[in-house]
Amino acid sequence: MQGYIGKRIGMSILSLFMLVTVAFFLTRMMPGSPFQNGNVSEDILRSMEREYGLDKPVTEQYQTYLKNLLHGNLGVSFKKPEVTVTEVIARTWPITASLGGLAILTAAFFGTVFGIWQASSKRLIVKGGIFLGTMLGTGIPNFVVGLLLMLFFGVRLKLFPIAGLTSPQSYILPVISLAVYPSAVIARLVQNTFRVEMERDYVTMARAKGIGFRQTALTHILKNAWIPVLNYIGPAAAFLLTGSFVVESIFTIPGLGREFVNSIGNRDYTMILGLTVFMGITVIVINLFTDLLSAWLDPRIRRSLR
Amino acid sequence: MKKIMNVLLSVILLGTCILSGCGKQEKPEEQKEIVVATNSETGGLDPAGMIALTYLAYSVSALDELLTYNEAGEIEYRAAESYEVNEDSTIWTFHLRKDAVWSDGTPVTSADFLNTMIRALDPKSGNGYANYLFPIQNAEAIYNGEADADSLGVKTPDDNTLIFTLEKPCVYFLDLLRLPVYTPSCVKYADEVGSGWDKNPSSSVSNGPFYLSEYVPEQYFVLKKNPQYWNAESVKLDQITYRFFDNQQSMATAYETGEVDVAPSLQSSVMKLYEGRDDLVITDTIATRYIYPNLNVEPLDDVRVRKALNLAINREELCKVLGEDTEPAVNFIARYMKDKNTGNYFVDEAEPPFEENLEEAKQLLAEAGYPDGEGFPTLTYKYPSLEMDSDTAQVIQEQLKKNLNISIELSAQELQVNYTDRRAGDFQLCRMNWTADFADPYTYLSLLLSNSTYNCSGISDEKYDTLVAQSDVETDPLKRAKLMHEAEHLAVGEAFYIIPLYSMKSCNLIRPQITGITQNPATGALEYRYADIN
Repeated sequence: MQGYIGKRIGMSILSLFMLVTVAFFLTRMMPGSPFQNGNVSEDILRSMEREYGLDKPVTEQYQTYLKNLLHGNLGVSFKKPEVTVTEVIARTWPITASLGGLAILTAAFFGTVFGIWQASSKRLIVKGGIFLGTMLGTGIPNFVVGLLLMLFFGVRLKLFPIAGLTSPQSYILPVISLAVYPSAVIARLVQNTFRVEMERDYVTMARAKGIGFRQTALTHILKNAWIPVLNYIGPAAAFLLTGSFVVESIFTIPGLGREFVNSIGNRDYTMILGLTVFMGITVIVINLFTDLLSAWLDPRIRRSLR
Repeated sequence: MKKIMNVLLSVILLGTCILSGCGKQEKPEEQKEIVVATNSETGGLDPAGMIALTYLAYSVSALDELLTYNEAGEIEYRAAESYEVNEDSTIWTFHLRKDAVWSDGTPVTSADFLNTMIRALDPKSGNGYANYLFPIQNAEAIYNGEADADSLGVKTPDDNTLIFTLEKPCVYFLDLLRLPVYTPSCVKYADEVGSGWDKNPSSSVSNGPFYLSEYVPEQYFVLKKNPQYWNAESVKLDQITYRFFDNQQSMATAYETGEVDVAPSLQSSVMKLYEGRDDLVITDTIATRYIYPNLNVEPLDDVRVRKALNLAINREELCKVLGEDTEPAVNFIARYMKDKNTGNYFVDEAEPPFEENLEEAKQLLAEAGYPDGEGFPTLTYKYPSLEMDSDTAQVIQEQLKKNLNISIELSAQELQVNYTDRRAGDFQLCRMNWTADFADPYTYLSLLLSNSTYNCSGISDEKYDTLVAQSDVETDPLKRAKLMHEAEHLAVGEAFYIIPLYSMKSCNLIRPQITGITQNPATGALEYRYADIN
């Protein structure tokens, strides 16, 4: 097990290094400059680039960046020289993470409930209705859901605010938009495995012994039906926690995703790289954690690693 | 299961009701406050630092420049109470208001003005307007590190006097004073760019009608009425909140839901939605969209070809497709820029540089060796992939095919990529937009000078340069206007260096009960310092 963990961490560091390198050179290959801005004259542009060391050869800039990175220094934003990239992450990540976390919890809850309901109901209208719902949920992209929710609950009914995160009710619409897709996926996964499990001998046995349906479903079947869901939630959480670019943009949420999109448009090199590194670390750590968890749960995986 | 669903539904409903009910705070009746939508946060609030939209939104309400022009073209004294200028317009003396104080009570002095200039002349500050200080003696040399900051041609003999000595006469110097680099920053707090003083309410003092009371990055900032302001009587609002938005659509939706009271510069589709309602306010922007034909590319080096392209485009039809917020333009200088001496629009005071004429265009093209477009190479038009520019490109492509039988290839680019290609001269036809920096035609005419950094298409015209240089030092306003009209006519109506397309209007949503919003005469942006709520 220790050897496995060591190997995985080594691999993670290597992929992080690759990520930084690729991201660094890709951002420098993009035409444009962080200081190019409508009416800025050429002389001013050049001297600002010199001031920030952007006139040096790219390889030299790369070395400086790596050196700083190893010291944990992500640099300052080119566009907002008064803030460091670390500060921006510290400010935006909690917002994004709270949205993503709420969305994952919502999805896990509703996905499971609807999955079980669809698998166990005998009424065609329920089965069909939920089936249609999950089809739409996986088919409609989250920004369309977001816009529809905005139009209906924000503009028409004026029930919820649609911009920013100034009050608790501002969370509702973005969280729903983010949760729709994972809810639908989870409902399908639960429904599939639940149906298969229901036909197993242990269920028949339990039912024959007179244990009620609810208890069988919740204590016996659900445990098994949830294994594929756990495998799905890991990576899904990694993506939700690192920001949902479009939804954050639509609802004007000051999170990581929106910051990332803006930094690309602005050619804010240090910001792009810093956010990439941070997201990379998050995804890698969560994946590592999920892998370790499944290795710990399932001895067969552990054995195959030896 | 039915029971579970019932419980579930009631929980959701209950939650919705509770959540939508809470958090709605009752506003006290007598407080007059408005919420204004603004573009997402970029740059800081330091006039000597990196200037972008956020500063421009902040400064119009919070900072007093020396003086400015009002909508009628008259001088409105702000931080200064009078000024004098010597005969050849090289020495300008400003007398500051003696009673003016910063929002913390510190007196506003001439040193505060000098403070911004000195800091902006350090390239490290990242100030994009620093070149507008270059008319001042030694400013350019200081910026390039060739002279000492003490040698700047700005003297402060006492706390209330500010004297500028210029390199050469500059008749539009007063127009430059609205630019950030000429705005004061308090010596007591504004020590260096990037120290964070500008977004911290305790050190970000203002000398204007409002001061910064709260700044939440990426979300909003709040300005409160400055009771120390010398002209506080004429300020009616108690508070202005600016909220950041990423796009125009979100702004329009937030206006619809009542989350903002003013949503400026929206997309033209809003016009149809709000047609006939008092909320819709159309304002002029001082901007021209045009195309640069690259003079180093064959056959665009031939003036007949450039003229043919200019005459063959039907701008009326183009604007009909684009929407009501555009207006056909055959001038380079923005349609709505005013001549301060007459109060008329500058371009109305002379004949238009040319008139569209399809027959003549065809003939010119034939003379240039391409009868009915035969043998004319396929040119590429590069433009930013914004909605309006994409529509423009398609219409022009179609018109040129139909009218002259020539093909244009379209190349939509991300905005930054388009800037880079344009600057490098790497294009055949390239879209360009210029919004005035200050209220004088020179902001446009200077672009096409042989040594201008915005002259990306290889224009080098001695006659034009001389005309502009003459207008630059001419102190008689009438003669100067004549020279500038001549220069424009030469560049647009004779040499056809550019293909002007249209000028733009701005589509804003403003609650009808808000009054007194004015327009900045230089850029057309909205100003809220005298706004009120009925």
